[in-house]
Amino acid sequence: MNRIQIHLEHVNYSYNASHPVLKDITFSAQEHDAIGLIGANGAGKTTLLKLLVGLNLNYEGTIRIDHTLVEKSALPALREKIGYVFQDSDSQLFMSTVKEDVAFAPRNYRLSEDEVNRRVEHALKSIQIEHLKNRQIYTLSGGEKKLVSIATILSMTPDIILMDEPTIALDPGNRRRLIHILNGFDHLKIIASHDLDMILDTCSRVILMSEGQIIRDGDAKEILSDKELLEKHGLELPFCMQGNSSL
Amino acid sequence: MSKLDRALYEIHQMDILADRDQWLNRIHPLVKLIVTASFLAVTLSFHKYNFTGLLRMGVYPITLFILGDVSFSDALKRFRIVLPLVCFVGLFNPVFDRQPVTAFGSFVVTAGMVSMATLMLKGVYSVLAAYLLIASTSIEKICYALRLIHIPAVFVTQILLTYRYISLLLEEAGRITDAYALRAPNQKGIHFKVWGSLAGQLLLRSMDRADAVYQSMVLRGYRGEFYYGAKTVFRTKDIAYLIIWSVLFLLLKII
Repeated sequence: MNRIQIHLEHVNYSYNASHPVLKDITFSAQEHDAIGLIGANGAGKTTLLKLLVGLNLNYEGTIRIDHTLVEKSALPALREKIGYVFQDSDSQLFMSTVKEDVAFAPRNYRLSEDEVNRRVEHALKSIQIEHLKNRQIYTLSGGEKKLVSIATILSMTPDIILMDEPTIALDPGNRRRLIHILNGFDHLKIIASHDLDMILDTCSRVILMSEGQIIRDGDAKEILSDKELLEKHGLELPFCMQGNSSL
Repeated sequence: MSKLDRALYEIHQMDILADRDQWLNRIHPLVKLIVTASFLAVTLSFHKYNFTGLLRMGVYPITLFILGDVSFSDALKRFRIVLPLVCFVGLFNPVFDRQPVTAFGSFVVTAGMVSMATLMLKGVYSVLAAYLLIASTSIEKICYALRLIHIPAVFVTQILLTYRYISLLLEEAGRITDAYALRAPNQKGIHFKVWGSLAGQLLLRSMDRADAVYQSMVLRGYRGEFYYGAKTVFRTKDIAYLIIWSVLFLLLKII
């Protein structure tokens, strides 16, 4: 059985020598894991996600995806396995229509047009946005753009999904819908977010980061109910646990 | 609606026009590209005094505006800045070329006037032909057609991305000017003292956005060349369209 793994060992990263962004990051993730990456602003969540897809390569330490070292020569093959959903959907969507944007990745992988169409249909159907297929991107609402962004990576049929603040700027209805969709994915997921209620609803494991370091890595409910720990690192209990902090 | 929002709206309107399911939109993009290039070549080849000959070439834009259901008044509105500039080209010809050609009563028509009118008409036709092409063909399809005639991928990708980045640039400029206007409510326009810092902000933000878009592209397998979907096959009506216009242009040129 194919066991997709992410493995980081003593990873350090800095934009300049005097200001390290990630310090001694070590963790592993297995196929089907759903991991919430939490931490205050500037904790290093987005930087860590970008390291995993090779957008920043001059790191120290070891990052392996499915036993392959994340380095320049391996990026084309690695990126076929990883879908990365940006925080800002406007940066993710650049083609004129939804269909063209969702078809962008499969076309780059030189699949036949029949297969491209099949993947587009499947990606849109899996998040129930078939009706948006021929819409111009600029006519979409923020929530629709987020769903289309997810469809653009699903058409790559990735093994791993990385998401950066997926619920940001979503209304409660779209947020609920997104949680439902995320729970339907069987992929290895890493979701960076401040929305701790969403993390609690979608992830079984949480990695708490602060000032570029991993502070705690463990069971989501256990970490997200630890008021003292969260407050110490600039976070608060999820809303659903406030008033019931003894959980 | 601000001027920037208006410009963005116009770009989106052009995308919508090009995306319609009209017979003109369904013609093969390469055929439309060749016909447009042929029209421009024939139009520009008319002698500077052959105004009446050139006038007949108007059959092409007029036909396409009518049959393609493209609004002529919208086109004029969109070109309200460009067309005067185009017309400016031959403005000094009457001054330098005063040889009389004909007269209507006491009004003497000089060769300079004729050549000015010819130059202006050539400019107007060229702009309209280009407009009709982009109003009936999406930028992706135009780029696909360019690749079919082996224009290097690097140039075609530049065209495509420039078109896409114009929207990003306008969006960023719109955000910056909105933020400025909200904090300078009694001021008309942007004070010249902040032009520099706003332009710098615009440059930096646009670069950030462009970088994010590029990252999104490479993460989805982009390796320097766009792929434009299924190969569009040439149908009988595409060939007929090409032949009819080519023959007509030839006839209009030699008559």
